[in-house]
Amino acid sequence: MITARLLQGGGALRWTLLVVGLVVALALPWFVYPPIATDMIAWALFAVALDLLLGYTGLLSFGHAAFWGSSAYATGLVAIHTGMPFYVAVLAGALVAAALAVPIAYLSVRRTGIYFAMVTLAFAQLIYFVANQWRSVTGGENGLQGIPRNLFGLDLSDGFYFYYAALPVILLGLFAAWRIVHSPFGRVIIAIRENPARARALGYSVDRYKILVFVLSAFLAGVAGGVYAIGHGFASLQEVYWTTSGKVVVMTVLGGMGTLWGAVVGAGIIVQLEDYLATAGIDANGIVTGAIFAITVLLFRKGIWGTVAQLLGRRRRDDRDAEPGPVRPATTTEEHADAR
Amino acid sequence: MSKMRKLGALVTSFAVGGTLAACGAGGPGEAGGAITDDKIVLGVITDLSGVYSELAGENAVEAVRMAVEDFQAKHGDDAVTDTIEVISADHQNQPEIANTKAREMYDREGADAIFDVPTSSAALAVAGVAEQNQKLFFDIGAGTTELTGAQCNPYTYHYGYDTYMLAQGTGTTVTEQGSENWYIIYPDYAFGQDMNKSFVNAVEGAGGTVVQSDATPFPNDNFSTFMTKAPGLDPKPDVLGTMQAGGDLVNVVKQYNEFGLREKGIDLAVGLMFETDIASIGVEPLAGTLFTTAWFWNLDDRSREWADKFKERTGSRPTFDHAANYSAATQYLEAVQRAETDDADAVNEELNGLEFDDFFARNATLREGDHNLEHDSYLVEVKQPDEVEEDFDFTKLVETIPAAEAFMPVEDSGCEMG
Amino acid sequence: MDALLQQIFTGLVSGSFYALLALGLSVIFGMLGVVNFAHGAFYMLGAFGAVTVLDTIGVSFWLALVVVPLVLAVLGMVLERTLVRRLTSLDPLYNFLLTFGLALILQDLVRLKYGVSSQPYSRPDLLQGSFNLGLFTYPRYQVFVLVFSIVVSVAVWLVLSHTRIGMIVRASTERPELTSALGVNVGRWVTPVFGFGVALAGLAGVLAAPMRAVNSEMGGDLIIVIFAVVVIGGLGSVFGSVAAGYLIGMLTAVGNFYVPALSQSLVFILMALVLLLRPAGLFGREESMS
Repeated sequence: MITARLLQGGGALRWTLLVVGLVVALALPWFVYPPIATDMIAWALFAVALDLLLGYTGLLSFGHAAFWGSSAYATGLVAIHTGMPFYVAVLAGALVAAALAVPIAYLSVRRTGIYFAMVTLAFAQLIYFVANQWRSVTGGENGLQGIPRNLFGLDLSDGFYFYYAALPVILLGLFAAWRIVHSPFGRVIIAIRENPARARALGYSVDRYKILVFVLSAFLAGVAGGVYAIGHGFASLQEVYWTTSGKVVVMTVLGGMGTLWGAVVGAGIIVQLEDYLATAGIDANGIVTGAIFAITVLLFRKGIWGTVAQLLGRRRRDDRDAEPGPVRPATTTEEHADAR
Repeated sequence: MSKMRKLGALVTSFAVGGTLAACGAGGPGEAGGAITDDKIVLGVITDLSGVYSELAGENAVEAVRMAVEDFQAKHGDDAVTDTIEVISADHQNQPEIANTKAREMYDREGADAIFDVPTSSAALAVAGVAEQNQKLFFDIGAGTTELTGAQCNPYTYHYGYDTYMLAQGTGTTVTEQGSENWYIIYPDYAFGQDMNKSFVNAVEGAGGTVVQSDATPFPNDNFSTFMTKAPGLDPKPDVLGTMQAGGDLVNVVKQYNEFGLREKGIDLAVGLMFETDIASIGVEPLAGTLFTTAWFWNLDDRSREWADKFKERTGSRPTFDHAANYSAATQYLEAVQRAETDDADAVNEELNGLEFDDFFARNATLREGDHNLEHDSYLVEVKQPDEVEEDFDFTKLVETIPAAEAFMPVEDSGCEMG
Repeated sequence: MDALLQQIFTGLVSGSFYALLALGLSVIFGMLGVVNFAHGAFYMLGAFGAVTVLDTIGVSFWLALVVVPLVLAVLGMVLERTLVRRLTSLDPLYNFLLTFGLALILQDLVRLKYGVSSQPYSRPDLLQGSFNLGLFTYPRYQVFVLVFSIVVSVAVWLVLSHTRIGMIVRASTERPELTSALGVNVGRWVTPVFGFGVALAGLAGVLAAPMRAVNSEMGGDLIIVIFAVVVIGGLGSVFGSVAAGYLIGMLTAVGNFYVPALSQSLVFILMALVLLLRPAGLFGREESMS
């Protein structure tokens, strides 16, 4: 059973965290404007999906908007044209994102390190141009409007109810990510992050593992993007634009790479911040976002979650997982030799 | 209000299986003759920090505030309510933010109407929210004809301009004046594609020929390809129509001059241009360029009078977006005054089909069929440098396009009002 | 045929900007292992530098061509000393993220100062009008940009191949393992090289001011194309970056002419092909691959 596995994965602290997390998730729309709460959980899953790659596999994808966005469009199209329950539409969207991820992953893992970031960014830009040009399908710059929230005839037009309809999907996605990380497969990808040459020597096909985790990550990003599109009732070019890729990286880095929890916290903060900035009259979004990036990277690379965990003096067996992925000396690993 | 009750209802509805639809809509305001919460709230969602922040932006909010003050000064104690609030939000040209903010304004902040919303995708998203919440929305900043076409709805008005109007003025008039052969370049996204389509129709409708029209990358900083191509087309075009906007337009004009196309007998016509664009390109490179506008501040005394007040307040001259925001807010408030309620349906009855005339909208009708504001538009020419008397005094009138001809006929709009 | 030649020429002019930017990016990467996301922002600052020195102290285009890159070099060196340096011993991803943040900040600062509308800047008097190039006439300014960028690229190449500094930079760019093995003190050249790379971006910006819209967003999308360019050329290869810059410029222009709908995607499709067939880049060395 699930509970047994949870117990297996860690002690009382992990349990407490899970319970607290669940309570927060259930209570969120009481404290936060419900549509914003929905945005938060969708971005949280998106950031967690990215963290699978960035934090656990050591690969920075700067083009994850491609998957979030392609699923947003696909989900919208399915919801509009079939009228099926939105769960089905989101699943279809996520499958499209995963399918798209296969060729992109295949090509991208040919380069590692910093190259990987540039290549994924460039592919995402390609997807953006396709979405812009393919107006008959995506609506181009006008966006794909009028995506319905179908669910067995329930009236979900109130954001408050929609939040609770969407939450199970997101929790399922988060649980999947957690399972991936704490499975034997997860151990292998962490091993690849730590020392790819060694993993290869042990007989693991490094590239194949990378592709697989990339596709899984894209699938989860697709689930998140689909929920987001249903929540907003449309999908736009913004979903596939590179600033969206940048935003999810900010969330993950700010929250703390390689912790999953950190990504969730980072998403919550950034969504709230963006909402605040829209009406705050502080006309400096770029400066604020940029400063968050610079300060986090310069001063607390472990991110909020990692830093707090460290301050609490939490030294536990699986602390290694909690360390930000890419902190390694620059010269020794194969990744870097390649990146140069 | 009680969330507990809401959740209870949700749980029940899951159990019962969809009875929620019946009670979900909730009771809209009190019966006619009342102002909800005893105040009127006008929301302005605009771009306060991005590419449209100068032609719309903070000054659009300011224009709505001016409308409120003038309304209060006019009606004094007879005003339908003493309290009129203006709230604003920066959508940063992201439709998601526009969408959420619109919901929040209608749901939580008691907004009775929302104004401006540049960027087509954001405008269409807000239109959807307006329809869902059954509250009014006046889009000013976006140019897409979809708002009054396939995606029209009874609560959304498009107030000011659209791609059809821009093309109609310039395409038709310039062709009729003898420049019959056109070469059109347009940025390859929805706005550009629509502009191109409208221009081709307008030019051909007036008896001209579009020799060729080319989609250009967007954004793009090298238009040399198209500049070198233009003189070689057969027949040689009389006019280069550019549908680019903002930074791309600046690139086009810089390169149009570099390649000396005017000297080669190819004039320049621009699809959409604002005073802010002219300021950044300079008057000289643009002198003589034709374009269509919904309004310009130096049109006549009526316009100048308002523009002076605007300048006193903001320090700069208004664009047509600013004027249209003022006009729309005024017409909305007057309608509330007449209806004696801010109930959206009652106000809508006052607005639907309304014929009026103010300094911005001349011979205007808020058309019943598609909720497009029909009003005179203006074909203008960029002045010669020595004619410019002050900053932002960049254009002079060539021809007024009468309201009835300026906009797409209702029957062609494709709008089916629900 | 004339039309095609003309397109190729147009492409070379676009390519001039790609080449200068890719060159700077490559040199910085080689020396520091840093992919500078703020490179587009420095290009933008270069263009604004030209506008500013003209507006405030009346410095002409020609002087701006010298002054602005120098100022940006200093700015680059300061940033390297104060910020970038702290992260160079870590995974290069951190500097990638840092410079991404810097790009956002720089772009926003410029927007707050100058607004969103483009700044006017005209061509220098000497370069008004057109040259007759035999088969076709072409604006003087664009011809100048092309010639100038080639001269700069060749000059950089000569410096890199004939001076001691150049040897060190090139060696550490193209064979980092070897350089440290030979015990060359690379460290003292890091800051100046970063400044130099930034200066090249600034130079490209000054060159852009008379022919392109000068606004805070001008470097934003461009940097992504430049990334694709260096992936195609081979990020480790100085020659490759420059060659790929001109090549991509040409292909895009020809694409613009024949298949406009594809022209923007062309560079990314090409990148995919290169990754498929020659992952190290057209001019990169295969042995650097794992």
